[in-house]
Amino acid sequence: MRQSNLEAVKPGGGKPLSTRLEAAWKHIKRDKQLLLLFIPCILFYLLFRYGPLYGLILAFKDYSVFSGVWGSDWVGLKHFDKFFTSRDFWLLFKNTLLLGFYTLIFGFPFPILLAILLNEVRIGWFKKSVQTFSYLPAFLSVVIICSMIIDFLSPNNGLLNQLLAVLGFEKKYFLVDPGWFRPIYVISEIWGTMGYEAIIYLAAIAGINPTLYEAARVDGASRFGMMRHITLPGLLPTLLVMFILKTGSMIRIGYEKVLLLYNPMTYDVADVFSTYVYRKGLLESNYSYAAAVGMFEALVAMLMLLSANFLSKRIGGNGLW
Amino acid sequence: MVGESKLSLFGIANTLLLICAAVATLYPVVYITAVSLSDTASVIQGKVLLLPKGINLDAYAEVMKNEKIPRAYLNSVYYTALGTFINLLFTAVAAYPLSQRTFFGRRFFMLAIVMTMFFNAGIIPTYMVVQQLGLIDSVWALVLPNAIWTMELIILKSFYENMSGQIREAALIDGASEYRILFNIVIPLSKPALASIGLFYFMGHWNSFFLPLIYLSDKDMYPLQVVLRDMLIYNTENDAGLVDRAALAPQAMKNATIVLSMIPVLLIYPFAQKYFAKGVMLGSEKG
Repeated sequence: MRQSNLEAVKPGGGKPLSTRLEAAWKHIKRDKQLLLLFIPCILFYLLFRYGPLYGLILAFKDYSVFSGVWGSDWVGLKHFDKFFTSRDFWLLFKNTLLLGFYTLIFGFPFPILLAILLNEVRIGWFKKSVQTFSYLPAFLSVVIICSMIIDFLSPNNGLLNQLLAVLGFEKKYFLVDPGWFRPIYVISEIWGTMGYEAIIYLAAIAGINPTLYEAARVDGASRFGMMRHITLPGLLPTLLVMFILKTGSMIRIGYEKVLLLYNPMTYDVADVFSTYVYRKGLLESNYSYAAAVGMFEALVAMLMLLSANFLSKRIGGNGLW
Repeated sequence: MVGESKLSLFGIANTLLLICAAVATLYPVVYITAVSLSDTASVIQGKVLLLPKGINLDAYAEVMKNEKIPRAYLNSVYYTALGTFINLLFTAVAAYPLSQRTFFGRRFFMLAIVMTMFFNAGIIPTYMVVQQLGLIDSVWALVLPNAIWTMELIILKSFYENMSGQIREAALIDGASEYRILFNIVIPLSKPALASIGLFYFMGHWNSFFLPLIYLSDKDMYPLQVVLRDMLIYNTENDAGLVDRAALAPQAMKNATIVLSMIPVLLIYPFAQKYFAKGVMLGSEKG
């Protein structure tokens, strides 16, 4: 839908302001209907994406329900001070970073492996069914996934504990054991995202020039050899971009899952920034303090995303934008 | 690609590995269904592994008699239907002006929209906005704050851009308004794209639990996922020894609720594959 029968109105660079305003006005009049259609979108972004930024001033105030956001007293950096000097800060920082890091490092190879293995399958229906099953978890809600995890690990009649019992081990209380929280989180994360991330790699593999494989076969390369010397190098650009982007969003932890899986006994390893904000802010009504914590997290996340995006574009890949 | 007919060690190992992967993703769903259909005694003794022991529908009958669950189910259906409709409407309309090259302020609007993908004011400030708009305890709190997903908007905009401009040209010359062009030509022609993003919106609403948890305080308004969460937390506390062990029976009932909650998803799952893969790809390339 390119050209319109009307001329594009370009803001003239060197022309006087009045002419430019006039041109803009003409442009607006021409696009009147489109602009009207666009109003809901503008309202949405103003209210729900930019509007909350105004609420961030809460972080510099002592919010009280009676005085409202504007009327509450300014307290400067009090909440930030309190947060940075508290024991919670380092704990949250460590937990968020470690959960994100482990998920990234351990989770990264799985979808690639799945895609490569799927690519080697010659039987169409088998390949398609395995792939279809592999992204089933993407259709399940966090609540259901966590419910499955809890059932599976239950000390009362969970499958894993039954298995341990058969093998002669003692029953384990996985979900209240701080040592098990991170493995549980990371493994279930891999289980849940492996299938649909493989879609991206499969598409990248499909884009590899088939003549490379033919040439290799003529030269007597084995299938494993082709996998190593053609498929993997062919995947490298996609792989690199995915890795950078994932690093950028590393600290955006799936906090809903943490919220459902943690309990007071595992807070020390499981609590991350977002769950802390939820507890402090919405459950304990410490709005200002929670907003300060949330703001800190948002800033770090934004910096990481922007740098990842920049890096990814530098090496010639797609950014988030 | 390469056709290889002979059975190789590599081929066998590969097949076995992939079967393991498929079983790993499929098994939990099968297991939960089996537990929900088995009799309570077998469940408690841990006899159910793959197939249900002694088919019975007690758990389902129990769920139906329960005062919370059927209502929560209806709530979920309502929120999902309304939410997905609003999402699609907002996105389809918003993407149209943005897809026009000469649209007033296009570059500025796109920049302002894309920027929102990088920052997030956070739970608390967003909560305050929703509260100030008086949306707490209403469906709109679940629908409006996420009426447009930026990624889906960009995907649809790219789709519109790739449509032929000639039909629109002709319609404009015939004196059709932009509204008519959008609703009578552009939207009907973008059904595949709308199906693809609609699928993600649908899943988002049906599976959402955090927004209803924070925005709804009236328990009668809870959707299924929040009710499930309550049952789940109960079970966790139970496992942690925080609750009397005697009350263990609800497990089959919980699983029956899970199975019921998966039904709509599993029903669209086979049809959704095409759109799902496309959506994931579009999301990663975003045209």
